[in-house]
Amino acid sequence: MAEGQETLEKSPLSSLEKSVEDEERRALLIPDFSDLPSIPRSAVESNFVRYYAVDFLKPAHDQYIYRHANGLCVIGLAPSHAALNEVGGVQSVDFNVGKSNRSELKVTGKRKRNAQHLQPDSALCYVCADGTYYTVRCCVKGSLLEVNDRLIKNPELLNLAADREGYIAIIMPKPTDWLKVKDSFLSYEDYTKLRHQVSGSSASNVC
Amino acid sequence: MADDARSIFSRAALSLPPSHVSLDLLSSGVCVRCIFRLFGIHGDFYSCPFLTGPGLNYFLKLQNGCQASISENGHGSFGIHKCSYTSEESDFDQKYCSICLGILQFPHDLYLGEGSSKENFSIDVFVEKIVESIKIANHQIDGFFLEVSIPPVIAANERSFWSYMKKKYDSEAWFKNKALYNQISLKDALRLSITESLEKTLSVKSGANSFHICLAYTNSEASLSLKNSLRKVQSSNRRRTEKENVVKVVDQCGNGQLDSREQLCSKSDAAILKELSSLDDHTFCDIFELPPKKASNSCKLMITCYRMPMFIGGRYLKFSRKVSQTLWIIDDERMGEASVEEIVGTPALEICRGDSYKFHAAGREDIDVRMLGSGRPFLVEVSNARCLPSMVDVVQMAVKINNSEKKYVMVRNLKVVGSEAWNLMRVGEAEKQKQYAALVWISRPLTDEDLQSISSVNNMEISQSTPIRVLHRRSPLERKRIIHWMKIEKIVGSSQFFLLHLCTQAGTYIKEFVHGDLGRTFPSIGSLLACRAEILQLDVTDVKMDVFI
Repeated sequence: MAEGQETLEKSPLSSLEKSVEDEERRALLIPDFSDLPSIPRSAVESNFVRYYAVDFLKPAHDQYIYRHANGLCVIGLAPSHAALNEVGGVQSVDFNVGKSNRSELKVTGKRKRNAQHLQPDSALCYVCADGTYYTVRCCVKGSLLEVNDRLIKNPELLNLAADREGYIAIIMPKPTDWLKVKDSFLSYEDYTKLRHQVSGSSASNVC
Repeated sequence: MADDARSIFSRAALSLPPSHVSLDLLSSGVCVRCIFRLFGIHGDFYSCPFLTGPGLNYFLKLQNGCQASISENGHGSFGIHKCSYTSEESDFDQKYCSICLGILQFPHDLYLGEGSSKENFSIDVFVEKIVESIKIANHQIDGFFLEVSIPPVIAANERSFWSYMKKKYDSEAWFKNKALYNQISLKDALRLSITESLEKTLSVKSGANSFHICLAYTNSEASLSLKNSLRKVQSSNRRRTEKENVVKVVDQCGNGQLDSREQLCSKSDAAILKELSSLDDHTFCDIFELPPKKASNSCKLMITCYRMPMFIGGRYLKFSRKVSQTLWIIDDERMGEASVEEIVGTPALEICRGDSYKFHAAGREDIDVRMLGSGRPFLVEVSNARCLPSMVDVVQMAVKINNSEKKYVMVRNLKVVGSEAWNLMRVGEAEKQKQYAALVWISRPLTDEDLQSISSVNNMEISQSTPIRVLHRRSPLERKRIIHWMKIEKIVGSSQFFLLHLCTQAGTYIKEFVHGDLGRTFPSIGSLLACRAEILQLDVTDVKMDVFI
């Protein structure tokens, strides 16, 4: 019985077939170069829908809300945010916003225990650029899952890649709360249209 | 027949207590098999069809008579036992044993849904009944395991008889060394009674087989009265502490009585047994009759049979980026075109003719990730298989899957395996290595130094925060993972696209390792090459495990 099993197992794959199979596998892996885009969509572009809150509570306080299909929202500074357009850019980030330090509370578990429940106007942090402090706000009502504490040591991330490694925080809104607030934001297309027109003047407005 | 009975009774008598005790038990309504097992009598006695109360009674009286030299003129012969039976009949009008409630007496009215008949008790008819129900279920069998469940009231009856005997015979010499734990359990006695006959009729052996014959005995009347007795103890124990709570409950549901009855019925047998054994002897004797009342109702029997889960294992390859590993439904809508689970599970269920199947795999890949190369180990668990597929059946199943029209999935090394394969699949799951090929784009042209720096990686530790794409359902954590090695394969005609071959520890999120997940995975391909890196395609090329290779 045992021997019978052996032969039956091995017979589908002789060594010749195996090498043919390896060839086939290689062919599967190598893409057709003509199918490839010259510049592929980035992970942010393909995984998130991009929304913008412009002039949020104050002029030129422009923030982005990148919403993942799973409902989580990444919050950060839009390219037109005043702080990013100051001379020398952002110099420091402080998550200590009065009552609590946003970078200290650790959320744990699938149920996200200890998460702070924030309102759209709740402060996430202060960013300092050219001596001016700008309050970065939550924009959506929801649980604060994490803040990007790498910004404390390395605020330069905001100047280099505010839309990627320089994100500020990740919020988990309730689906109903998201539906309520979503229409108050600009789409990516509307945002670029709006800020391209006024991009030159936005920085000077704040100063 | 008479000689058989006499020889069995005389052999058994050696282990039995003095005859006045046996007679006492008999007249309290205990059946012969229960008397035998109470005193730990082993051997082939149980399967003997002549173990009737009147028979033992006659034998014991005869024995007594001999000892006391009262027996005069050869009247006590088994040859005329029929007369003896009738003369004693009045003592035995009670039909069911007061301990086993008929379980070891094999009465005809035992079977659920059938009216009582006045026929004799018989093991043969009992075995026939079992075989009948197995035939209906239409199982292919190579052996069987006898599973017996009995109502907890039996345990109470046993204890009650021991307490009764202790009270009455504690001072007698024979009672020393006799104890509850010497007895043969009812379940074992039942197995001793019927196994041989079952084996003969089914022409297979009993043992640790995955085919189970379940004999489930219930006695709702006796169980209810047992629960009521136990409730009395409970309420007296808890009266002080829980009085207020009870009042509240009654207030809330308006009909407290009904509610508590439901609760009692749902209490498991195990819980009742535990409660029983936690009673001290004094309390026990207080709430239970010694000896228990004679039984007017037999237990009811439900005969079922099933095959323990069967496993078909192997490795699968997935060639499509639109096929998920398991059936994936969001809002009643299937995600992807098919699933490995169904493609492999459905034919497995067919060849085993089981009730249902479950699909288990050693890890998983995303729907848009192909599974190539060695394939990924998996198990299909088929419950209650009616057929035991042969090696040929399994090979045919593999051929069918591998030659399917759409070629989404292929299987290899398919075979029927034992449940130990389950553990094999789980062994080293956390440490096992996986090999991938990723199609990567970087934001600047690839240099020779890049090739160098990437291929110099050797067991590099990375730190991965739970990726944003799964953060909504997984715990936020920072996990350390090992990248064992990496190799860049250039793509002819492109300076910014390349194939990245890499081998990592299980549980590494590869997509995030490439693009960095907003800096939350570090280092990443992007951070190592100091540019932006994007991943376009991913394939698993090897799952390095010892199972099903």
